[in-house]
Amino acid sequence: MKELLYGLVTGIMFGFLLQKARVIRYDKQIGALRFMDMTIVKFMLSSVFVGAVGVYVLKDLGLAKLSVKSTVLGGVIPGGLIFGIGWGLLGYCPGTSAGAVGEGRWDGIWGILGMLTGAALYAEAFPYLKKTVLTWGDFGKITLPQVLGISHWVVITIFIISGLMLFYWFEKKGL
Amino acid sequence: MKFVENRGWSPYLAGALAGIVMILSVWIAGKYFGASTTFVRSAGMIEKVFSAERVKKMDYFIKKTPKVEWQLMFVFGIFLGSLISSAISRNFKWQALPDMWERRFGRSKIKRGVTAFIGGIIAMFGARLAGG
Repeated sequence: MKELLYGLVTGIMFGFLLQKARVIRYDKQIGALRFMDMTIVKFMLSSVFVGAVGVYVLKDLGLAKLSVKSTVLGGVIPGGLIFGIGWGLLGYCPGTSAGAVGEGRWDGIWGILGMLTGAALYAEAFPYLKKTVLTWGDFGKITLPQVLGISHWVVITIFIISGLMLFYWFEKKGL
Repeated sequence: MKFVENRGWSPYLAGALAGIVMILSVWIAGKYFGASTTFVRSAGMIEKVFSAERVKKMDYFIKKTPKVEWQLMFVFGIFLGSLISSAISRNFKWQALPDMWERRFGRSKIKRGVTAFIGGIIAMFGARLAGG
């Protein structure tokens, strides 16, 4: 019960911020894919940088565990490409479609229905995929600091500096 | 009086605050943000209404049990949070066609609906394949 309440409250706060920054709009999402408006990239990277620092501090203090997914190239590469095609057609991603409906952009409902269908189809295809593509290029649960053999703080610092340079460039270009 | 729609909060600020919300979620509830697993569990719950026996035997629904849990409430919360925010800032707008879409593809709601639906199928299949 407590877990459900945490989910709801966290979702409300996140949805509030997504709407305030206007990142759940079709025009913003497609604007990023067309390299016209980088609002969503600014939002995503800002939250990733703050989140990465905070989560690794918690991890170093022994207060949290990382949730690392397996790197399976046979899944990630075609999956990412297929996701991109669908995202470009829909103009919302799974979480933002719910937010889009929340601010009245009800074309998100068609997307939600499509995504439920897509999930059902994936469940049908899973037994086959599990034996084929999902066994290709399986590196297990790896992280960049672990593969490079360096401190995670070095990786985080490099990421943040690169991100700030990217932000500077976006602002200079008015994206 | 004419209102010019405000441009909202800085995406850097809102993004950083979202990062803080994420840190608190990991710390307090041990939960990382995600949305797509919810579509799997929900599809499973819908299918269970029609053929519970079949769903019970499907590999993927054994792995991702069809049930209401943290993430489904999180996704529902995103809907509510967006509703609250748009109501407060008075930019809730009942809209079937995004502006950019309408400029390029015209005013057919069916065309938009079909494209969004097909896009949703493809996007979710890809997201699940990538494990995201």
